[in-house]
Order: sequence, then structure tokens, then C-alpha cells
Amino acid sequence: MIQVEKISKSFGKVQAVKDVSLVARDGQITALLGANGAGKTTSMRMIYALITPETGVVTVDGINSTDDPVAARARMGVLPDARGLYLRLTARENMAYFGRLQGMSEADINSRSDELITRLGMEKFADRQTDGFSQGQRVKVAIARALIHDPQNILLDEPTNGLDVMSTRAIRTFLREEKARGKCILFSSHVMQEVSAVCDVITVIDGGLVRAVGSEADLLAQSGQNNLEDAFVHLVTGGEAA
Amino acid sequence: MISKAFRTVFKKEIMENIRDKRTMMSSVVMGSFLGPLMALGIIYMTAQMGKDKAEKQLELPVVNMEYAQNLKKHLLSQDVKIMTLNKSPEAAIKDKDHDVVLAIDENFADDMLNAKPAKVMLYYDASAKGAANVSVRRVRALINAYSSQIGAMRLQLRGVSPSLMQVVMIEDHDQATDQSKGAQLMLFLPYFLIMGLFMGSMYLAIDTTAGEKERKSLEPLFLNPVSRVDVLSGKLAATIGFGLLTLVLTLIAFKLTLPFYPSQSLGLTLSLGLADMGLMLLVLLPLSLLAGSIQTIIAAFAKSFKEAQTYVNLVIFIPLIPSMLLMFMPVKEKLWMMATPILSQNIIINEMIRGETVSWSNIGISVAGTFLGGMVLAWIAVRLYNKESMLFSD
Repeated sequence: MIQVEKISKSFGKVQAVKDVSLVARDGQITALLGANGAGKTTSMRMIYALITPETGVVTVDGINSTDDPVAARARMGVLPDARGLYLRLTARENMAYFGRLQGMSEADINSRSDELITRLGMEKFADRQTDGFSQGQRVKVAIARALIHDPQNILLDEPTNGLDVMSTRAIRTFLREEKARGKCILFSSHVMQEVSAVCDVITVIDGGLVRAVGSEADLLAQSGQNNLEDAFVHLVTGGEAA
Repeated sequence: MISKAFRTVFKKEIMENIRDKRTMMSSVVMGSFLGPLMALGIIYMTAQMGKDKAEKQLELPVVNMEYAQNLKKHLLSQDVKIMTLNKSPEAAIKDKDHDVVLAIDENFADDMLNAKPAKVMLYYDASAKGAANVSVRRVRALINAYSSQIGAMRLQLRGVSPSLMQVVMIEDHDQATDQSKGAQLMLFLPYFLIMGLFMGSMYLAIDTTAGEKERKSLEPLFLNPVSRVDVLSGKLAATIGFGLLTLVLTLIAFKLTLPFYPSQSLGLTLSLGLADMGLMLLVLLPLSLLAGSIQTIIAAFAKSFKEAQTYVNLVIFIPLIPSMLLMFMPVKEKLWMMATPILSQNIIINEMIRGETVSWSNIGISVAGTFLGGMVLAWIAVRLYNKESMLFSD
């Protein structure tokens, strides 16, 4: 479970995120929905303890991530916005490298790699060097690499950005399976259909501020609209541009 | 204490770099073999050209040879091939047809008869490269020999001993040993060794910092539950490892090319025994720490691989400065020089090449001074990424 209380961050004079709070519960998929530049990536970076919030607290399974970022990171598997692979390593080696950095034993790394390769449909390219992989193959490797240690909390920054239908479906199915296993999943997105298709709870963020929180039905009721896209526009513009 | 994260990062960087064949060829192999081979080529050509000019029959174009029949006999007896010139002496030199042209003054025969200094003109270009000067020196020596030969005869005819003319006699005592003569040719060795070391670590220094940032793999890497200091130490160790590998290969390359140096024809002995190589390695070891660290620091501040490459390439010229200085001006070693990285390695290796004994205290100061400097830079390098602004390229 991830609890975020009033985190803020500014870069120079620009206030990127202000007092963002949210809760991502176990067994649920929570979305951080916002337009490009709304502050999603900065919020996510603070939540997964890459950068330190100026104010506020992030706790991951009860661990304060500012006080003990290393322990907090061990509880999370993160697919960040930057998802570069090591091109001269094979997909499997990319996964094993992160497994070792997570402190896993070689036996655990092997069995978990096999499991992820099967579940994400990576059999055909698992033992090839990742140079020249398609966008979909790259994202699958990046996800498998991030989740090699089977973390309780799964954080994904725009996971299906730029993927085709088949890859997107494979990843959605995978996330639903993880949810069924009781995992806490938090992902950021600007794609309405995506959020609508997989998420239980949605936090709408714009201009670095939280505009609304609730299930899809809650947001529709709150804005008086009948689809998520209209509801989103209504919520971020205060009803002016609807 | 060596953590598991350190070892994991170190092993991965080494493996990834070895798989990159092009980089291995260009930085490690080229870095170590290019210098020795280039040096061999240059020395060979210089030695060969000097030898050719000094031993070959001298071809001398002479203007108005008919005015000096006696001198002509002298020249022919010294195996000079006298040639005629169909253009002006000035033009012949300017067009590089000949290294040197001799012209006889039209009053040469009369002056000779009246025991007045007879005039000859020597045309040459003093700014011409090495081998041309050999020809000029040979002609000058021939004329001088002829002049003193005639002079001595004239004095004897008048009943005066020619030795009266010689007031002071210089006896040469050249203190250069055969090895120190060889050293003149080997002065570039420290530079090639240091350059090889810098070249070897350059690629990984860039790839593990600016390269990783550009490929967007730095952020996921830092999301693992390990300290950034451990990760950076592992990367730095791999970088330094390749610098050392290149250094060892450079030494081996020199050892292998040494038998091919034309030391015989130059009358020189060049030695590079196993003990010497070991000592050079010891002196250069701490420099690899310094080189890897400074390159890592510089590359970390660049936003892209290319930008980093530009900056780090400039760093390779730093070791050139002390090497060049020492080539043109002999310095008396002082304590601060021994504590100065790069300069001290240059001085010590030069001393070794000249066959002088290097004191262990100097070696100690050099190693300690450079190691200390390297450690400070390494400390900075592994802590750079604690700053948030260093993490992202955008």
C-alpha cells in the first residue's frame, strides 16, 4: 500500500507539484490521470523515491521513503518514464542484472525470469540482445526487469504509451493478474480509455494539483458527464471549456 | 568492504564493454598499439634518412668548376660526384632540386696564386629539415679540409710549423651513455603510456554516465534498492580496469616492438627489462585511478554522449603538456614535481629510460601523491549523482 500526503516539488520558480495526496490500496489498480505536463512524472518520481519531496510524506507499506529510500525501493517495482535497456545484454540478462541489484539469489532470478517471460509472452526474444527490439518488446523487457523481485507495489509511468493493441492487451492482462494476487498497482496515464478499462480508483491531476478523486462512476457523477473524457475536461477546466 | 551491488555493477559493465567489439578495437587495441607502432615508424624513417645522406655518394652541383681545377681534384678524390647546374643556384635550392650548391668565385684562381683568401659561395636553406643539413655539413667539411691542407702546405714552404696555427685544441668528452642517446628517441614513451591509459578508460567513463543518461537507463538503475555510491563505485572500477588493461597492453606492445628499433645502426642500447616494466606499471597504477575519475566527473556533467566525448577528448591533451615541456627543457627534479600527478610519472619514466637510478623515495612520493589526488577525485565522482539535477538529461 502506498500513501501519499501533500507532496510538493518545484524546479526553480516553477511549482511542478503542489500538495498532491493519494492512497493506492492493495488489490486495487489506482490511476494518476492527467494531461502532458500536469505533474504526473514528477509526482511518480517522488513516490518511487528517486527525488525527495520538498514537503509531505510518502509511505510504502508503512516505510517512510524519505527516511529510508533504499528499503522503500525494495518494496516497489517501478517502470519509470525512462525505460532504456542495455542494448548489448539480452532480455534475460537485463532482468538478471536488476535481480542481482535487488539482492536475489541466482536460483530465484532464473525461476522468476522464466515465469515473467511466459506470462508476458517474451519467449521468442528472451535470449536475444535487446538492440533492435520493437517498442512493444522493449516495454515488456522493461516491465519484467522492474518486477523481477515480485514486489508488493507496482508503479508504472505511462506503461502503454506508444504500444500497439496486442502489446497493450498483454500488459493489461498482466496487471489484472497481479491485482488478483493482491498487489498494489499505481499507474499514471493520459489515456482515458486505458484508465477506464483497468482502474478502480482515479486521481485526476492538473497544474500540479489534485482536481478530483474517486471511481469512474464517482467522477462521472461529480462532473455530470456521461463519459470519462468529458468528465476529465470538465474537472480540469472547472466546467468552462466543456 | 566490497558490496554485492558493487560487484554486480562492475561485472555487468565489463561484460557489456567487452561485447562492444568496435569500442574494444578503437580504444583498447588502438590506444595501446598505435603509439608504439607510430614511434617505431618515425624512428625508423629518421634513422634511415640520416644514414642514407651520410653514407651515400655526395652529389654536388658546382657553378664555375673550371676556375678551381685543384679543388675539383680534391673533391673527386673524396668520391664527390660533381654535377653541372642549368639554372641559378638560388632557384635550384628554392625548387628543392638540391640540398646544397657550391659556386666558385671568378677570381678564385688569381686569389689562390696570390695567397689571398679565395672565395666560394655555398647555397642552402638553413630552415630545411634534418637530412638536408647533413649534405651541407659534408660539403663544408670537405672545403674546410681542402683549405687547411693547402694552408698547412703554404706554411711549411715558408719554414713555419703548421701547428703554430693551432692555439687551443679541443678534446671532446661526451658524457652521454649509449642508453641516454637512446633516451632522446624514447622521450615520447611516457606520453604514449599515459595517453594509452587515458584512451582505455575514456569510453567507459562516458558510456557509464552520459551514455546511460542518454539511453534513459540511469533512472531505472537508480530505482534498485542499492546506494548510488555503490553503483557509481562499480562503474568507476570498471572504467579504471579498462584504463589499466590498455596500459599493460601498451607496455607489452613497446616490449614487442623494441627489437625492431634500429638501435644497431644508431649505435644505441635501449633496454626495457621485466623489472623496468614492473616499475613503470607501479608508477602509472595510481594515475589510472585519477584518469578514470576525472573522465567520469567530466562526462557526468554532459547532457549527451557526444557532448561528453568532446570534453573528455580535450582531457587527453593534458598529459601532453608536461611531456612536451620535458622534451624541450631539461628540468632539475624538485619535491613538488614528484608529488604532481602526470609530471612525476613523466620525470620518473624519463630517468628510467636514460638508465639513471630512480630513488625509491621519489617513487613513493609520486605514487602517494597521485593516489591521494585520484582518491579525492574518485570520492567526488561517486557522489556526483546524489544531486537530483544530475539524474535527468532534460
